[in-house]
Amino acid sequence: MADIPLLELKGITKRFPGVIANDHVDFELVKGEVHALLGENGAGKSTLMNILYGLYHPDEGEVRLDGKRVRIDSPRAAIDLGIGMVHQHFMLIPVMTVAENIVLGVEPHSGPFLNIDAAEKRVRDLSERFGLAVRPEALIESISVGMQQRVEILKALYRGAEILILDEPTAVLTPQEAEELFEIIRSLQAEGKSIVFITHKLGEVLAIADRVTVLRRGKTIETVPREGATEEGLARLMVGREVLLRVDKTPAQPGDPLLTVEDLRVFDERHLEAVRGVSLEVRAGEIVGIAGVDGNGQSELVEAITGLRRPESGRVVAVGEDITNEGARDSLEAGVGHIPEDRQRRGLVLDFTLAENIALKDYCEEPDSKWGWLYPKRLVARAKRLLTEFDVRGGGPQTLAASLSGGNQQKVVVAREVSRDPRILVAAQPTRGLDVGAIEFVHRRLVAERDEGRAILLVSFELDEILSLSDRILVMYEGRVVGEYSPDVSEEELGIAMTGGGREVAA
Amino acid sequence: MSVAEASQTPLDRLRRLGEARSLAIIGIWLGVLAVWLSVPPFTIRALVVPAAAAVLGASLGLWALTRGERKLGWWAIGVALLAILVALWFQSEESAELESVFSIGLLAATFRFAAPLAFAAMGGIFSERSGVVNIGLEGMMLAGAFFGIVVVAETGQWELGLLGAMAAGAVLALIHAFFSIHLRADQIISGFAINFLALGVTGYLFRSIYGTRGTPELEERIPNVHLPLIEDIPFFGDLFGNLNLMIWLMFAVVLTSFIVLFKTPIGLRIRSVGEHPKAADTVGISVFKVRYAAVILSGVLAALGGAYLSFGTGNAFNENMTAGRGFIALAAVIFGNWRPFGAFGACLLFGFSSALALRLQGSPLLPSDLASANLLSTLPYVLTLVVLVGVIGRSRGPAAAGRPYVKQ
Ligand SMILES: Nc1ncnc2c1ncn2[C@@H]1O[C@H](COP(=O)(O)OP(=O)(O)OP(=O)(O)O)[C@@H](O)[C@H]1O
Ligand SMILES: [Mg+2]
Repeated sequence: MADIPLLELKGITKRFPGVIANDHVDFELVKGEVHALLGENGAGKSTLMNILYGLYHPDEGEVRLDGKRVRIDSPRAAIDLGIGMVHQHFMLIPVMTVAENIVLGVEPHSGPFLNIDAAEKRVRDLSERFGLAVRPEALIESISVGMQQRVEILKALYRGAEILILDEPTAVLTPQEAEELFEIIRSLQAEGKSIVFITHKLGEVLAIADRVTVLRRGKTIETVPREGATEEGLARLMVGREVLLRVDKTPAQPGDPLLTVEDLRVFDERHLEAVRGVSLEVRAGEIVGIAGVDGNGQSELVEAITGLRRPESGRVVAVGEDITNEGARDSLEAGVGHIPEDRQRRGLVLDFTLAENIALKDYCEEPDSKWGWLYPKRLVARAKRLLTEFDVRGGGPQTLAASLSGGNQQKVVVAREVSRDPRILVAAQPTRGLDVGAIEFVHRRLVAERDEGRAILLVSFELDEILSLSDRILVMYEGRVVGEYSPDVSEEELGIAMTGGGREVAA
Repeated sequence: MSVAEASQTPLDRLRRLGEARSLAIIGIWLGVLAVWLSVPPFTIRALVVPAAAAVLGASLGLWALTRGERKLGWWAIGVALLAILVALWFQSEESAELESVFSIGLLAATFRFAAPLAFAAMGGIFSERSGVVNIGLEGMMLAGAFFGIVVVAETGQWELGLLGAMAAGAVLALIHAFFSIHLRADQIISGFAINFLALGVTGYLFRSIYGTRGTPELEERIPNVHLPLIEDIPFFGDLFGNLNLMIWLMFAVVLTSFIVLFKTPIGLRIRSVGEHPKAADTVGISVFKVRYAAVILSGVLAALGGAYLSFGTGNAFNENMTAGRGFIALAAVIFGNWRPFGAFGACLLFGFSSALALRLQGSPLLPSDLASANLLSTLPYVLTLVVLVGVIGRSRGPAAAGRPYVKQ
C-alpha cells in the first residue's frame, strides 16, 4: 500500500462548552485503505468526522488533502473535495423516495424540471455497480434500516465520494445486514475508495480494517496495523484498563413467575398482525432472551408489554396484576421498567436536561415532588449520583440530552430504568451503540439485577449478547415464538431458527 | 376474527383494505352526484334518480364500513343521507326560486370568493413546506390590499398597483423571515406580530391619507378577460368567457405551485428543508436561503390575494378588509394536506360556502330567521372550524414546520 497519506488531520482541537471533544487529534488516511476509528462513548469520534465533513469548525488544527491544506467550512465544500459521510443518526427524509433522497441537491433535470426517471436510473446503475441493492422508488419510511444504510452510502457515492466516512454503520444492523455491509465495503475498497469506519465492535475491526486509530477522551492514543491486533489489546487501548469481554455469571435461581404473557396478538401501524399469539413467562431471578431478526414482532411485543401499544387480544400480567389494556403509567406502576430500543425517539426528551430526563418517570411522586410542587434540587442531586454511578461522560445534570454522544445517551436511559428498581425489566437493545467498557458495565448490571430477584426480558439482535446473558432463549420469527433453547445452544442452530427453519415448540 | 382470516398474508389484508377504501370514495362521489342532480341546471324532478344514486352511495359506504374502512365509510353514508334530504327539500320548491340561488352566477361567485384565499394558501404552502409556519398571511394580504390600492390611486395603473402590493407583502414577509429564521423567534408569535403590524400600519395610513372619505374612486381596476370565442358556448362560456384576470392568474399560480413543488429540483429542496433541515444541510443545501426565499414568496402571493380584494373584485380599501381570510387560507392549507390542488379544493369549498351564504340571504328557500345576513355570513367560518376539527390529527404536515434550524 502506498504510504503517501491521502488525507491528514493535524492537531485538531474542538471545544464545546465544558468539554474538549477533540484535543490535538492527529489522524491520517491512505488511499484505498479501510481505517477503523475506535474509542469509548464520547471519545470524540463523531466530532472529528463532523469536522472533516464541514459540519463543525475546529478551534485549532488543519486538514490536508493530497498534501495540500484545505478549508472545509461546509458540507458542500467537503462534497466538492470528494468526502462523503454516513451519519450515526441517519440523514434521510422519511416521506421521500430512495431516489429523491439520493439525488437531493444534485438533481438530474431536463430544463427546469426534475427528471425523476433519470434519477432512478442513475441510482439503479450505481446500486448495480457497487452491489448495493435498493428500490429507487420506495419511500424511506417503508424500508428496512439495512436498506436505509445502503441509501446513505449511495448518497455519498452519487456525489462522487472518494473518501467515505461511516459513523457506527453497524450499530443498527442485524448480523446478516452487517455481513452484507462488509461485502460492500470490500467492493468499494477494490474500486479504490478510502474508508473511515467507526465502530464499537472489535470483531468487526479485525474483520475489515487495515489500520486502527484509537481515541481516548479526545486524544489520539495510537494507530496500529490490523496484523497482530487482538480484541483484548484493542479494548485495553480504548478503555485504558483490562476489559472482560465475557460475562461472568452463576446459574440462575428462578423464583415465581413475575411476567406472564398469554396468547398475545398485536397489530403494527399498518394494521398488520405483528405479534401472532405469543405466550411467555419470565420468573424472578432469570433473564429470558428473545432472539430474532429485526422486524419479526419484537418491537410490538415489547410495546404491548410496556403499555405503549394496545394488544388486539391476549393477556399481559405483571406481578399478579392484569395490565393488558392499561397505559404506560399503569405498566410502570405495576413494576415494569423499560429500556426502549430507540433512545432518541422513546427513551429521552432530547431538549430536556439530564436531570429532567432521569426524573421523567418519577417526577410526580415523592421525593421529586410533593403536593404538586417539584423540587428541582432533588432531581439534580439524584441525577448527579446516577451520572457518576453509570459513568455518563460529557455532561452534568444540567446538560441537554441532545449534546451527549450517542452511547452516553444510552447510558442515561439505562441509569434511569435500572435505578427505579423495577420488579420486571424489559430491555430492548440495551447496549446499542455502547463501547466495550460500557457494555461490560451494563451486562454486569443486568446480571446483578437478576441476582437481586428481578425478572428480565432481554430483546436483542446481537447473538453474542443473547447467548452470554440469557438463562433461557426464545426465538421469534414472523410474530411467533418458534423455539426455546438453553444458552449452550450453538450460534448456528439459533441462526437457523431465526430464519424460520427451527423446530416448532409445542406450547 | 376467524382462524381463516388470521392466516391471510399481510399483503392480502392490505389489498382488501384498498378495495374498501376506493369503494367508499366512490360512494361519497355518488352522494355528491345525487345532490348535484337535484339542483339547477339539472333540477331532476323525479326523486328516484338522485335517491337511487344516494342509496347506492350509502350501500357502498356500508360495505366499506363493515370491511374495516370506518372513516370513509361513515362519510359516504353521511353524504348520501344529506343528498336525500336536499333532494326531498328541493322537490317542493319552485324552479325559479331555486334558480335564483343555484346558477352559473353561483359558480362565478365561488371563484371570486376563492381567489384571495387561493393566493394566500399557495403562499402558505410554500412557507410551511420550507418549515416556517406563516400565521402572518393575514397581515401580508392586508398590506397588499392597502399598498396596492394606494399605488393605483396615485398612478392610475393597476399593473403598478400589483407590483406595489407584492413589494409590501415581500417586506412584511422579510420581517417574518428575519425573526423566525435568523433570530429563531417563535414563528407563531412573529406571525401574530406581523398581523398586528399590518393592521396598525394600514389602519393608520388609511386614515391619515384618506381621512373619512375612504379611498378615492379608482380610474382603473384589474380588468376582466373577454374571451370572444368561448363566450358563446352555453354554460361554459357564461362561466369562463368573462373572468377577472386575477382568477386566471389564480389558476396559473395553483398549477405552477404544484409543478414547482413536485416536479422541479427547487421543489424537492424546499420540501427537504421543511422535512429534515439537517439532512438538507448535509447535502449542501442552504437551509437559510431556501427558507428566506419561500417565506418571501409566500408574502408576495398573499399580497396578490389582498390586491384582488381591494382593486380586483372590489374598488376600495376598508380597515381590516381581509377579515380573517388569511386564517381561512391557512385552514385550507391544512385541509388540503399541504398540497396545491388539495388546498385549492378547500379554497373552492370555502368560496362556495361564502357565495351560497350571500345568495341565500333573504331567499325564500330558507325560513326568514335563518336567512338573516349575519347568521349566514358566519357560514365559511363555521365550515372552517368543522373542517379543522375533522382533519386535525389526521393530516401530517412538514415534519420541521415551526422549528428553527440551529446550525452548529
Ligand atoms: N453539539 C454538541 N454540544 C456540546 N457538546 C457536544 C456536542 N457534540 C458532542 N459533544 C460532546 O463532545 C464529546 C464527544 O462527542 P462525540 O459525539 O464525538 O463522541 P463519540 O466518540 O462519537 O461517542 P459515541 O461512540 O457515543 O457516539 C462528548 O463529550 C459530547 O458530550
Ligand atoms: Mg458518535
